[in-house]
Amino acid sequence: MNQAVIAPLLVALITAIGTLLTRRFSRVQIGLSLAGSLGYLVAVYAFVTEVDPLGAANTFSYQLSGWVAPYGITLVADPLSAFMLSFSAIISLGALVYSAVYVDSFGQRVSYHPLYHFMMVGVTGSFLTGDIFNLFVWFEVMLMSSYVLVVFYSGPEQTRAALQYVVLNLVGSAVMLLAIGGLYSTTGTLNMADLAQTLQAGGTAPAPVLGLSALLFAVFALKAGLVPFQFWVPAAYRAAPAPVSAMLAGVVKKVGVYAIVRLYFTVFGAATLGELALPGFSGESLLSFYGPILFVMASASILVGGFGAVGRDDIDGLLAYSSIGQVGFIVLPLGIAATSGDPTIQTLGIAAALVYALNHGFAKGLLFLASGAVYDTVGTTEFPDLGGLSEKAPVLSASFFVGALALIGIPPLSGFFGKLLVFDTAGQAGSNLGLAVALIGAILTIAYFSRAWNRGFWGEPSLLVQHGDSRTSLVAVVLLLAVAIVILGVGFDVVYRAAEAGADAALNRQAYIDAVLQGGEQA
Amino acid sequence: MTATEPQFVLAAVIASLFALGTFLVLRRDIVRVVWGVSIISQAANMYLVTMGGFAGSVPILGHGGGHGGETTITDPLVQALVLTAIVIGFGTTAFALVLTYRVYEEHGTIDLFELGERA
Repeated sequence: MNQAVIAPLLVALITAIGTLLTRRFSRVQIGLSLAGSLGYLVAVYAFVTEVDPLGAANTFSYQLSGWVAPYGITLVADPLSAFMLSFSAIISLGALVYSAVYVDSFGQRVSYHPLYHFMMVGVTGSFLTGDIFNLFVWFEVMLMSSYVLVVFYSGPEQTRAALQYVVLNLVGSAVMLLAIGGLYSTTGTLNMADLAQTLQAGGTAPAPVLGLSALLFAVFALKAGLVPFQFWVPAAYRAAPAPVSAMLAGVVKKVGVYAIVRLYFTVFGAATLGELALPGFSGESLLSFYGPILFVMASASILVGGFGAVGRDDIDGLLAYSSIGQVGFIVLPLGIAATSGDPTIQTLGIAAALVYALNHGFAKGLLFLASGAVYDTVGTTEFPDLGGLSEKAPVLSASFFVGALALIGIPPLSGFFGKLLVFDTAGQAGSNLGLAVALIGAILTIAYFSRAWNRGFWGEPSLLVQHGDSRTSLVAVVLLLAVAIVILGVGFDVVYRAAEAGADAALNRQAYIDAVLQGGEQA
Repeated sequence: MTATEPQFVLAAVIASLFALGTFLVLRRDIVRVVWGVSIISQAANMYLVTMGGFAGSVPILGHGGGHGGETTITDPLVQALVLTAIVIGFGTTAFALVLTYRVYEEHGTIDLFELGERA
């Protein structure tokens, strides 16, 4: 039993309840909210120290209420969840400080802070849980808060976007419940480690496991916003307040990616296809079935997101389409890793996806916050009304530039290494198609950010820009995130080793099973 | 009646509920869409209960767990899962209905076609 596992979850939950109770005292509430987010960072730090991804790389479990796995609900700590939690903690702190200034005081008093922290509770729970039904519950916690945060301004645009977002995710939840119920009835367990063990032992019919895991996959793809489940993304991201968009794109989307890595590489990878193996597919594992699916969805996302972003006329819309494309970049190496049976390529592919997820989290978070600051300064994010921002708000523009360069992948920023690893994975696996898609995606990224830069930030300041006034506190948060991106790029060695430890943990199925079912610490 | 018979009946009921839910989700009226979504999630709940099987007695330990001369007990886990799912479903349906009202207030219509045209 190690209390560090549950600490981040408890801190987020207590903060959420605390901010709900102190609604009447707005200063106390904001103070508590910020302190809670700092406390969350400290709890995650303690968590990471216990897991020690760069050293011992421990995997250990926490059995809730002392119910022994597989009967109780298990929380699992390993380098993969440590990696996801640490970058989420930093981005969420940044976005929260920004919100305290950006969101109007009435909105903050009514519900903003509790919702924000409940969303973090859901995110944290999803990263930690070792039980698929519990994963469904954490998804719901996260989604319920995000529904309200998307409709937060509650204008015509927001209500329409939220309606679409809510209905889609409700159908998604029903589908997830179906898949979980089916898996329980097929395998007789809900515990992920026990599920992996049962599948590894064989004896379960492969056809229902394949079908139900595919059903579950559709739900995760919907959460991650992969093509063909991407259509809710632009409307929802444009409707939500800027710091919420930053969180949705930077952190919440990554929960879908994490679930794909955890469930398909660690758990379902244990199953063998038997007579279901299709001709032309390599490998006997169920995972090899998902390789081509992930690959096609990722490629389509890169193209749809890239071409969509090139045609947008406002910063928010451009960033929303860009996130569809960038999630494609995260999933592309996963697809290649799933197809390849070679453990080195699998590790490299997952590490590439994790590094890219981290880079996208920081860069897209920064860009959405910068877009919010532009809106705060000028009153619009439409390109025809912008122009010449670099003269009027040089620090803000420079930070936007850093974020854009990080997504394009210019050394020494973290994005360079992310792109390099994606190309490296495709190259080592000999996937020429993967290389071609990644190259087209990279060119499209350059194209739409050059366009945004030319139309929004260069040239003569427009009338609106001339009369705008930027707030220092907002710009400061954006600048800090830009500095963080530079630091991540310069100190990339540590990031890569953490990502590699995360990838190893995702693939080391036996260590995961032992840690949960025997409750012991595994090196 | 044998233990497997109600499962066949329920399978048919669940199938028709899913069909009805899907039909309603594809309507133009938002209220019907919300109805459809909640019917789909209820069908999913029924599916879960059915998956737990009906052979065996009620899973209440305090009563000895051996009613009706059965020796086995029905799996209680799915019922616990469904209770959780029902509570979540209740919250989301309430929210979806409030959201429908807000959409009506903002746009003056709950027709999805008209709503789409105003985008």
